[in-house]
Amino acid sequence: MTNPVINDIGRDIRLSGVSKSFGDLQVLTDVTLDVSDGEVVVLIGASGSGKSTLLRIMSGLETATSGEVTVGGVPMHDPKRAPEIRGHVGMVFQQFNLFPHLNALGNVTLALRKVYKMSKDDARAKGIEVLTRVGMADRAEHYPSQLSGGQQQRVAIARALAVNPRIIFFDEATSALDPELVGEVTNVMRSLAGEGMTMVVVTHEMGFARRTADRVVYMADGVIAEQGPPEALLSNPQNPKTIQFLSKVTDQ
Amino acid sequence: MIEYQWRIVLAYLPDYLHAAVLALRITVLGFVLAFALAVIAALARDSGSRVLRFAGACYVEVIRNTPVLLQIFIVYFAFPTLGIRLSAVTAGIIALGVNVGAYLTEVVRAGFSSVERGQLEAAQVLGLSRLSVFTYIVAPQALRNVYPSLVNNLVQVLLGTSLLSTIAVPEITGVATVINARTLLFVQVFGIAVVAYLILSYGLSVAADVIRRLLFRAPSAGRPASGTPKRRAIRAAIGTRP
Amino acid sequence: MWGSLPILWSGFILTLALSAVSIAGSMVLGLIVAALRTARIPLVPIVARAYVEVFRGSPIPITLLFVYFGAALYLGYSVNLFVAAAVGLSVYHSAFVAEIIRSGIEAVPAGQHEAAQILGLKAHQTFRWVVLPQTVKIALPPLIGQCISLIKDTSIASIIGLVELMKAGQSIVDRTSDPLSIYLTVAVFYFALCYPLSVWVTRKQRKVVHQ
Repeated sequence: MTNPVINDIGRDIRLSGVSKSFGDLQVLTDVTLDVSDGEVVVLIGASGSGKSTLLRIMSGLETATSGEVTVGGVPMHDPKRAPEIRGHVGMVFQQFNLFPHLNALGNVTLALRKVYKMSKDDARAKGIEVLTRVGMADRAEHYPSQLSGGQQQRVAIARALAVNPRIIFFDEATSALDPELVGEVTNVMRSLAGEGMTMVVVTHEMGFARRTADRVVYMADGVIAEQGPPEALLSNPQNPKTIQFLSKVTDQ
Repeated sequence: MIEYQWRIVLAYLPDYLHAAVLALRITVLGFVLAFALAVIAALARDSGSRVLRFAGACYVEVIRNTPVLLQIFIVYFAFPTLGIRLSAVTAGIIALGVNVGAYLTEVVRAGFSSVERGQLEAAQVLGLSRLSVFTYIVAPQALRNVYPSLVNNLVQVLLGTSLLSTIAVPEITGVATVINARTLLFVQVFGIAVVAYLILSYGLSVAADVIRRLLFRAPSAGRPASGTPKRRAIRAAIGTRP
Repeated sequence: MWGSLPILWSGFILTLALSAVSIAGSMVLGLIVAALRTARIPLVPIVARAYVEVFRGSPIPITLLFVYFGAALYLGYSVNLFVAAAVGLSVYHSAFVAEIIRSGIEAVPAGQHEAAQILGLKAHQTFRWVVLPQTVKIALPPLIGQCISLIKDTSIASIIGLVELMKAGQSIVDRTSDPLSIYLTVAVFYFALCYPLSVWVTRKQRKVVHQ
């Protein structure tokens, strides 16, 4: 393949003593977390627990107020070096955030053409490749408004995959989907995990956590209350807060 | 030297003041006419009669696609040939009223359609006459929903008065042109005119806001039930605030 | 009446020319002002905002008279009326164009900026390839509406003596004293120019509502 996308960022994440406040509001307090190469970590917790903020700090959309954040070897807490992460990790948003004026192929190849300066043909080839990966190759010419929610999110995943990321962040990727469309997205996520992608996933889908996570991290009030392998944490939680949260979730 | 220039122009403040008062008078009267025309035209455009719909559309499209200055000239210069002789001020009020009325027609129509269907159905079930529905349910909400657009158009009438200087109405722009001819200090003369318009349009917005607060007072929880039993039933059925 | 058609026609041509030049000028200026309003340099957004508020709150004749007398003062009384009118109209309408463009830019959801950032697009690339195409689509109907206003406002150039369509009509009326048929003819000219554009705008805006 000519013009391959070289992505030599590492594949692990190290957070140490990370705190984040927005003005007077303390959202994260002294969070320490390591994600190793190829690990799938699922963050769960109520709204306001800080899980989304933690994810956004890892992907570079927010900066920590204090503490050390190293993603793929890039020291994110150093404002001069933090931008190095851009284009090397992937992020899938709750609201998809597809570009409505471009079709699926256009969305997927935009970064390839403008950031990696790939030729139109090479970008198109890579675009079809990742769209096939998520099962959307036959809709490559369709615009977001012509696709269902699940299809749009799969295109969003393909867009994230196009730059050959080592780490992908999922911020409540299925929360905005109708229930019957959730499965097609979690299936894609599961196959990515099976290929050894490092994934940090914020979700309410306990089924996904149980089947696909290597580790589940429960957050409450800006700290990690409990973490462990899914079988342990989800079936046999120790922390009273975890027990309370899980009982509320499974009641739904 | 600059201070001397300003003093010369500021000596004309009384003239500016009279001009501003006249501009305000024309604005208010013109807007009232515009609103009346707009309601009529809006009802015509949404009526069942094809003739009325066409007439309404003609009014709106012709006025909105021709310059207001031309409309002013037609009212002041062309109407006399039809036997209608008007003073410059009256011609100005009519021309501006007709002009802004066309724009207000669309605003009024938007206001009518902004009231949810469900409320009309609830009122119908309650047995209200069509007039009551219009007066107590449609009109107040329509008014509230499009209020900002109404104020915008009010300011447009004010800015339109400036064109009346061409037919010798002593409003702000006309007066400024005369003072400029006498003193040639165009920066100060027209600068004060701009400030006058800004103050007037700001004042109109503030006044409109005060009126809005008075008209659309949100009912507080502690207030005893007011109004006739019929009105209370309406409020209970559809809720007091959208 | 028919003898006056040639004069009206040349006035109409001048109106067309003035409209075209002023539309171009107001678009360019409006784009610059819109950019200044979102700039990160201190004080610049405030000045740009003041620029917009002043022009939107004052009538066009004052702006035109300002430009006319300003030019007369510094260039002597051989002011090119066409240029003065074009400058005045461009500057005045640029304030409205700036607002329309700014609304279009801000209508692009923040989430798309974030997605573009994660993908590695730089700020100017995001603006060029993500924000701008969508802004143009959103802003085009209101911008065309602004053009219609501008075409009508060229009639105000008559107050500084430019012999565009309106002034041409006036001069004929002064000579023949037949205001009704002359001004109605002038109205037909303006209507023929503006109405097709209005129809286009209404159609486009109805499409937006339907989505």
